[in-house]
Parts: sequence; C-alpha cells; structure tokens
Amino acid sequence: MLKFIVKRLLWMIPSLFAVSFLAFVLIQLPPGDYVTTYIATLAASNEIIDQNTAASLRERFGLGDPLLIQYFKWIWGIITEGDFGISFEWQQPVSGLIWERMALTLILAVASLLATWAIALPIGVYSAVRKYSIGDYMFTAFSFLGLSIPSFLLALVLMYIAAVEFGQDVGGLFSPQYETAPWSLAKMADLLAHLWLPVIILAVSSTASLIRVMRANMLDELPKPYVTTARAKGLSEFRLLTKYPMRIALNPFISTIAWLLPNLISGSVVVAIVLNLPTAAPLLLQALMAQDMYLAGAFVLLICALTLIGSLISDILLALVDPRIRLE
Amino acid sequence: MHDEEFRSRGVTRRTILAGLSATAALSLVPRGAAAAEGKEAPQLAAMVKDGKLPPLAERLPPKPMVVTPLEKVGTYGGSLRRGLRGSSDHNGILRMVGNQSLVRWNMEFTEVLPNLAERWEVSADATIFTFHLIPGVKWSDGHPFTADDVVFAIEDCVKNTELYSSTPAQLAVAGKPVLVEKIDDQTVKFTFAAPNALYLENLATPLGQHPTLFAKHYCSKFLPKYNSNLDADVKAAGVSSWTELFRAKCGDIEIPSRWSNPEKPVLDPWVVKEPYSGGATRVVMERNPYFWQVDTEGNQLPYIDELNFGISQDVESLMLNVISGKIDIQERHISVLANKPTLSQNMQKGDYRLLSLVPSAAQQCQIYLNMTHKDPAMRKMFADKSFRQALSLGVNRQEIIDIVYFGQSEPYQTGPRPGHPWYHEKLARQFTEFDPDQANALLDKAGFDKKGQNGMRLRPDGQPVFFAIDVIPTLYPDLVDTLELVKSHWAEIGIDMKVNTIERALYYTRGDDNAHDAAVWPGPGGLDPMLDPRDYFAFHPQGSRYAIPWTLWYTSNGAKGEEPPESQKKRFKLFDEARSTADIDKRGAIMKQLFDLAADEFETVGICLAVGGFGIIRNNLRNVPEKEPDSWSWPNPGPALPQQFTFTS
Repeated sequence: MLKFIVKRLLWMIPSLFAVSFLAFVLIQLPPGDYVTTYIATLAASNEIIDQNTAASLRERFGLGDPLLIQYFKWIWGIITEGDFGISFEWQQPVSGLIWERMALTLILAVASLLATWAIALPIGVYSAVRKYSIGDYMFTAFSFLGLSIPSFLLALVLMYIAAVEFGQDVGGLFSPQYETAPWSLAKMADLLAHLWLPVIILAVSSTASLIRVMRANMLDELPKPYVTTARAKGLSEFRLLTKYPMRIALNPFISTIAWLLPNLISGSVVVAIVLNLPTAAPLLLQALMAQDMYLAGAFVLLICALTLIGSLISDILLALVDPRIRLE
Repeated sequence: MHDEEFRSRGVTRRTILAGLSATAALSLVPRGAAAAEGKEAPQLAAMVKDGKLPPLAERLPPKPMVVTPLEKVGTYGGSLRRGLRGSSDHNGILRMVGNQSLVRWNMEFTEVLPNLAERWEVSADATIFTFHLIPGVKWSDGHPFTADDVVFAIEDCVKNTELYSSTPAQLAVAGKPVLVEKIDDQTVKFTFAAPNALYLENLATPLGQHPTLFAKHYCSKFLPKYNSNLDADVKAAGVSSWTELFRAKCGDIEIPSRWSNPEKPVLDPWVVKEPYSGGATRVVMERNPYFWQVDTEGNQLPYIDELNFGISQDVESLMLNVISGKIDIQERHISVLANKPTLSQNMQKGDYRLLSLVPSAAQQCQIYLNMTHKDPAMRKMFADKSFRQALSLGVNRQEIIDIVYFGQSEPYQTGPRPGHPWYHEKLARQFTEFDPDQANALLDKAGFDKKGQNGMRLRPDGQPVFFAIDVIPTLYPDLVDTLELVKSHWAEIGIDMKVNTIERALYYTRGDDNAHDAAVWPGPGGLDPMLDPRDYFAFHPQGSRYAIPWTLWYTSNGAKGEEPPESQKKRFKLFDEARSTADIDKRGAIMKQLFDLAADEFETVGICLAVGGFGIIRNNLRNVPEKEPDSWSWPNPGPALPQQFTFTS
C-alpha cells in the first residue's frame, strides 16, 4: 500500500509539469494578450486608454517575450520561491487572491455535496428496493425534471422570486453588515441563512444522476445470491441493505471523488456568477477571459493538482471499501 | 427625443445640450460666500469633539470652492448604492468619484470650468498654460496640496521612463513631453513644445487627471530618486520591481489598483475604505474629511456619508437589484435599450425614476469597409466611391430603426449631432435614402454588372462580390440584428455579405493586423468631434477601421503604415491647425473645411443616429440631473458632481 502511494506521488511531478505547460499554452492560444483584452474591455464602455500607456503596459508585463520564456519565468518562480506571479489585472500577488476565496469555495462545495448525497442515497436505495412503485415513478419524474432544468436558469428564477416577490437579499453569501466582518457566531448564522439557496440549486442538478446510478447499482446487487443468503439467515431488511449491497453500490460515489476536488473550483462557475457568490469560480472565469495568465495558470495548476490528489484518494478509499479491489 | 430640443434652440456652442439641464445648471458662485460659518457632517463634528480631527476651519481652504446644488441644499447622511461588474470595472468608480482634475466640464459638456485650479492663463500661441491653484486645499490625510505636487506628478512620475515608457499622449506634443515648473506654491506653468489649444478640454477628461493624481509626500516614498531604501521596501512588499510597488500603492488613472490602497491620499470627495481588489465582493468609500468644496450655505461637501459599490458578476443580477430597489443610481451596464421595458415596468416596485442619457456618439452602427485591404481586388472594390454609395443607398434604414431601435432614431451617416453648432448636413444625410434602383444602376456602372449562379453580383475579375463584417455579439447584440437586416437588404441588390460574429479580442487583433474585410462599431464624434474624430479622417489607430495603415502613417509622422490619399493628408493638416487654434469660432470654421472633405470622400457607411441609453435614480435621491451626456470624455455622472447628491429620507 505504502509503496503504491509513494509511486503515485512521484508520478504526479512530471504530470504536473506537463499539465501546467499545456495549460499555459492553452491560455495563450486565443488571439491577443492581456493588454488587447484590457483595451477591449474598456472599449466596451466606450472608454479609451491612452495609446502610449497600452504600449508600455505590454512591455511591463513581458508580453513581448516568446511563450517558452514566459513559461519558464513563471514556473521557476513557483519552484524556487513559491511565487505564482502577479495578477496583471489586480496588481496583487496571485497566491493571495486564490487563497482568499478558497475557504468559502470549500464550504459551499462540501455543503452541496452532503446535500446531494443526503437526498440521492436514500432515494436511490428506495427506488431500487421498491422498483416500479408509485414512489419510484414520482422520484424518477422529479429527478429528471431537476436534471433537465439548467442550474443557472433555476438560480435566476429563484432569485427573481426571492427578490421581487419577497424583497429578500439575493446574491452573495453574506448580508452587507457581515461581508467584511471577522468570523463570529453571528456571521456563521448569516452564512447559513444565505447558503441554502446555492446549495439547493447545485444539489438539484447533480442529485438526479446520482439517484439513477444508485438505483441501477442496487438493482444489480439485490438479486445476487449473497443477498438471498443473508435474507434467509434472518437479517433485518435495513441491516441487510446497508451492510452489503449498499456498500458495493457506493463504488461510483467514491470513484468520483477524483472529480470532486477540481469541481470545488470549476464546477459551479455559472451558478456562482449568477448568484454572485464570492467563490473561486468567478475569479477563474474572469482570469481566463481577461487572459490574466498567471492568475489563470495558477488556478489551472491547482485544479490539476487537486485532480491528481483526488484520484489517489479515491483509489485508496476504493481499496478500503470494496473488498473486490486490490492494489497489486 | 432629446435631439428635437437641441434643434429648436440656437446653435451657439454655449447652448448645445441646453436641453440637458432641465433645471438650473450647476454653477459656481464667487468664492468666499459664507465659508467661515461652515457646517460639517455629524460624524466629523463628533471626531473633532473627540480631538481626532482638526476643526473644520482648519481643514477647509480659507476660500473653499462653492458649488450650487442642483435643486436644493442637501442634508448629511446616507449610503449610496451602485453596482460594479466583477472585473476591470474600475472606471465605474472613477466616473463617480475621481473627477478632481485641475479643471472640469460644465453640465452641458461645452465649456471647461475651474476646479482645483481657480483660474488660468493661456499664451496667445497656446503653448504655455499657467494654472493658479486654490490656496489651502488639503489631501485626504490633511497634508497641503501645492504646486510641488503637480510638478512631482508630471516631472517625477509621468515623465519617468521606467514608470511610463512613453509619456501619455495628452502630455506630449510634437513628440516632446510637457515641461512643468513651479512659479510659487499656488502657481504652476505647463510649457508645450508646440501649440496645444485643446489642452484644457483634454485636461477635463479622465485622461487629464495626472497632474492631481500623485501626492508628493506619499508617492515619493516609492520612487528611487527620493527613497534610497526602496529595494528593501520592494522585497518586503513581495513584488518584483519598484515600478510594481509604485503602481500597487499609487495606482494610475485607469487601473484597478488606483482603488485598492486606502492609505493613498486623494483629493476626491470620498476615499477608499474597503478596496477594489481581486477577492472583493464590494467596494466601500467614506467621506473625505478634508474635501475642499462647500455648498452655497457653507456646508462642507459631500452630503452622502458613504458610497457602496456592490460587485455583481452578472448583469442580470444587477438588473434584479435595480428593480427590487437595492441600487440608488445606475446607468452603467444596464443602459441598453433592450432593458428599457423592464426598467419602466418596475419603476413603482423599485421606487425609482428614469435617467436619460444623451449619447455623445454620432452613429449607432458605423460600417467600416477596409479601404486598405491586403487583397488588391477587395481594396479596389472598397475604395470605389460609387460602390460605397450603392451599398448605402441599398439599406432600408427606416426598417432597421423600427425593428431594432423601437423607432427611437433617424437615418444618419456621421458627423456632429443635430443641434450641435458644427452640424454638417451633407456629412450627416447624404445617401441615406432607400433607393435600390439607383443602387443597382451604380453597381452596374462600376463594373459589377455580371451575376453568378446564385444571382449575386461578380467582380470585374469574375470572383463573387463577397465580404465579411466583423461584429462582437456579446458587446453589441443590437449591431448583429442590424447587420442581419442589412444583409437581407444587400442581397436584394446582389451583394453577398457575411455577418462575422467574433470574440472581442479577436476583433481587435484582426483590426490591428489589418486582416478584416469590414467591421462595425458605434461611431463617436457626435458631441465630442474634436476629441474623437475617427470617422472624419484616419485618426484612431484602432478605431478608424476603414484604413488603419493610414492612421499609423499619421500618428508616426510618415514613418510607419501606408501613405494615404491627398484628401486625408489635407484633413490631417486641417485637424492639426484646429488643434492649435484657441479661438473656438475659428476652430469651427477649420473643422467645417475638414467635414466638407470627409463628406466628399464618403469613407464610412452609417445606419442611424446613436440612440440614447437609460439609467435609474431612486426617488429619494435628489440633486441628480435627469438627463446627462453619456460619454467617456464627460465621464457621467462625475461632472454632475455626486458630492452634492443628497437623500431626502
């Protein structure tokens, strides 16, 4: 086991280099550079930047250098000093910008994950055990409805209702008075009061597919002989379900942990933008759109690192949970 | 329509846009009215009482600038809510707060008024400008603002080649940067290498804020010349060079970091409390206790305690905030015509009234056919004046106005807006009638008389007449609709065109590389024909998209680009002459000659007069003009002086 983990960790190093280089190239691929996009953004409001200033911006950011040199300058800074560079747009160190938003991102992602699982697991099990019952059909219908409504649309509709009909504060994760206040119990309560809306919206879309997965897996397991045996031995139905078939059926949930971690950052972009959530996702999108290379590059690097770590975690967990899986 | 009002009035420069100021225009009464009896905001008074702040009389200049409130003398208090977008929206703050230059625009966008300079003298040849600053003005940290600050800002900062590898265009004439000298504490002299008659007007625009942007006592800490210990400070701050540190601390006119350092002394009515930075969800600014303007009763401005800019990632959620009454004044991002029905319907619910914007632009949809196309056959086709005339005559403008612009416009080519003293009938109206027969006849005569199998015309070399027009759908969705209609109109006269919807950075790159067939953009120059004449001759290296190489030839004095035809060269000369003519009537006469030449050449094809936008003002917010120019040069609502906006409840 230990050998496996060490081997996997060592493999991550070259993968990260390859991926970071690809990411850097991809970010640079669209035509123009940060200064072009910057000028274009200003022009969108009919605002003008001085021509001479634009030229000196380009020089200052080293945008004239060849791509390889820009990449090596960047990666060298990360390796030697842990310096992810400066965000062009904000003139702030990239690392500060990223960590600032990660805590809330984590809270939101974990909360919606828990909500999704809390809804999907019991319903999936119920639908499988009571196959083709009225309850099964109802849950199926609702879950497909949830799957088919785009989450941004749901977000907009719920926001409209909350804002216009009930005069509620919408958007953001805090009331104005807590936005910059230090953490306290009152601020936690305020966060919880705002968190339910994005959590519901994010959970609705992912619940449906998980219900189907859970139902299908359970249906695979239920007719198997070991279930019949256990039942014949007089195990209570609940104990039986949770002890054996559910454990096997959980397999896909665990193997998706690898996607879960990167999803923290990039999974909820559209919803986060519509709902104006101060998570990492909108910042990543902005950085990509503005061709703010170092900021976007750092995000992509972080996402890749999280994917690699995530797949390691799910492999280890799978080995622990599913007795059929061996690492060798 | 507001333009009706313009037309019914006289045509002197002073009265254009008179319609803007339905109530009395903001004006300045002679200083020193009742300043000694000045009153201040309760919070500041409390701080004075606690000894945390010097008394008002010590904070205000001896004779502070007096501002006449638009409707009435206001009351202190309140937090004004306004929206920003997530990224690169720093100019949303600039427009509201940062218009404290040496001079400023009047409400009508016609005349330059004193601001931090109480008066000035201009030499007869418009090369020397001497500004007299208001004595006793203080930065927001209480430090005096003097001629030294102005000299420092230009000589040490803007002319520092490590900080600005080239001097901003406004401050350099004939390739040489301006020379700024201190005469005494209150007097500074700007000397240009050549006549620069437009300098005062330029100084009133946002790009003219450099002279008052950097406080010497603070920003000199980040220049090697004044701080021998700078290297250590750069290391400590974790940045890679002193220029980066300078920008992070002192900002520049148009970068987000201008609003990210609460320590930076400013001359604005409000100072940053919660900064605009990458992670911010809002920006809060609080009143500047040293602000140097008072109202007619001697009350220190601003009236409003605090500005609260919420940051929305998405314009739709900004609209929701507006209609649910959570925004006090907003026109930025929501001002497009398509939002008008929603905004009008919800006026009661949101408790707001509408604000109308008079565009400074001339043209809603200017079509730039690339007359310097890289392909010689395309170049020949676009350079043919009768080809362009035929295209213009083949457009059914009224249909476009009715369908896309809800009837709120009129057929137009380009030129100063109707009612402007420099309005030019031929430039504005030629070839705007819908006449497919004449268009067909012109095309036949110009050698495009053969047709291909699909019924579309062929060029004399046998290739089909076909070109693409670049447009950015995310930026100007209305222009895509307009072009689709134009496409159908042109198909009727046998011209095949493709509406090329592309991403905006690509749009710019294609323009910079001269790789486009044609492009559209709203054409400026309606109220600001001197500041942005890009459609009257090849003036703007990114905007004059009918001939970018010509603009390069002009801006590089013939070193780069491509030599333009005689008519363009004549216009370059005329414009340079107008730019160095201080007398406004003489300047108008010169510009008329330029417009005559532009009308004869007919280089751009316009569709209709630029349509006005909208905004909202909450009903309890007063002293706000209900109609204002919409322009970057008149950075609305800044010149309407937000420091005298006030809440009634």
